[in-house]
Amino acid sequence: MQKRARVAKVAVVFLLVGAAFAADEIRNEYHFKVHRHASVSIINQYGPISVRPTLGNQVIVTVILHSDKVKVEQGQGGNRVSVVSHVLPGADAESGRADFEVLVPADANVTLHSTTGPLRAEKLHGDVILEGNTANVDVRDLSDGHVHVKTLNGPVTLTNVSDGHVEITSISGDVALKAVNGPLVHVNSTSGRILYDGDFGDGGEYSLMTHSGDIDATAPSYASIDVVASSQQGKVENDFPLQPAHSSFAAKAGSAFSGTMGKAASSVKLLSFSGKIHLKKRNISDNR
Amino acid sequence: MTCQEFERVLTELAGEFSFEQERHLRTCLSCSELMSDLRAISQQAQFLSEDAEPSPRVWNAIDITLRQEGLIHDSSPVRSAPPGWSRWRPVWLVPALATALVISGVILHQRTKTAPATVSQVAASLQSPESTMVPEEEQLLKLVATQAPALRASYESDLRAVDAYIRDAESSVRSNPNDEVAQEYLMNAYEQRAMVYEMAMDRSQP
Repeated sequence: MQKRARVAKVAVVFLLVGAAFAADEIRNEYHFKVHRHASVSIINQYGPISVRPTLGNQVIVTVILHSDKVKVEQGQGGNRVSVVSHVLPGADAESGRADFEVLVPADANVTLHSTTGPLRAEKLHGDVILEGNTANVDVRDLSDGHVHVKTLNGPVTLTNVSDGHVEITSISGDVALKAVNGPLVHVNSTSGRILYDGDFGDGGEYSLMTHSGDIDATAPSYASIDVVASSQQGKVENDFPLQPAHSSFAAKAGSAFSGTMGKAASSVKLLSFSGKIHLKKRNISDNR
Repeated sequence: MTCQEFERVLTELAGEFSFEQERHLRTCLSCSELMSDLRAISQQAQFLSEDAEPSPRVWNAIDITLRQEGLIHDSSPVRSAPPGWSRWRPVWLVPALATALVISGVILHQRTKTAPATVSQVAASLQSPESTMVPEEEQLLKLVATQAPALRASYESDLRAVDAYIRDAESSVRSNPNDEVAQEYLMNAYEQRAMVYEMAMDRSQP
């Protein structure tokens, strides 16, 4: 009985404390009327930004400010919407945090900046630019638009992205691409690891380059690729029986290989200065 | 109007621009910088002294060098100069060219004096594995420390990683200058470095 009373008292205290914190949070919602291919820019120093599509010709931005040390400035010029959070002096990553939930027309072009993130975008058809220092970037189910991602050490994950240019630059963040196909897929990293699991399809140009990170690329046995892989100081492995390619690239057992598969529709470059490279064949059972 | 079209008509302009040319100048940074350089040279050229004629020794030295190179001969058929050409030979050309080169160098220097360290400076500073950072990088880290102290360590770590990338890429290009892969590594390495600077400077914007 005494124990129950004590638990009840602790629960009440927690509720009151939670309410006190929540009372400091401020929720704002902004609505903007736009036309086709609107440009939407969200700049948020601390905190997550998530973008999803909505029906209709409007942009809805919901912001939760975690304290009064962060303010939001919003504006619209024609078909261009801009929302910026400003951190006031004395704020830190917690008190200066603002959480953004953004709904846009699916064909909108979206630009997101956040130092800490995370940054998330899904089911859009316009161009998407995401930049963050340590932000975790998660992009999924995009098609027809170009995707540009820049992070310093935030990890980047792209899932089911197709039919657009994909350019990812990260200094030390790991980059994972799953079912990413398009006319151009470029990943440039210094020390991050690059994981690709897809088809290398669409007759595209695929370039995965890193200085010291490893590259793990998995493709199906029916992949149609002209591949070049090289590591100056790391080990290079290949699971595919490649046909020799007519190029000036010099293959070197264990550190470089090149060749073609199928009709060599896509060009694939896997380059790591000192990391390991492994081009793996996806098992049939993995496709089910 | 494209930049090529603008440059083609540049020599025909007498200081007056058409609407299309003016609009191109307003929107094209490269052409407007070119025009301001040309204007600066033109203004400075007004101050060239009419007496700035090289001494006979200079002409003799040029003459001797050209003969040694086999570019001129005593008996080579040379079209005779038009009357008065000897007076109007470009005696002003050498000092004018020298002055124009100096002025261009000054203007270029002023435009680039705040640029990040050049390749040679970065390479010179990266002689040892534990090399210190170049001054621009130290400045950048100070800026980051002022704006976001918690991020300074990760910026420093990223800059060191990128410097190591540049170092390796430069070494690879030096060993194999015609290797396209080595060249691509170097370009990518610089792109990475530029991104670190860009993100740090973006943070410093209010």
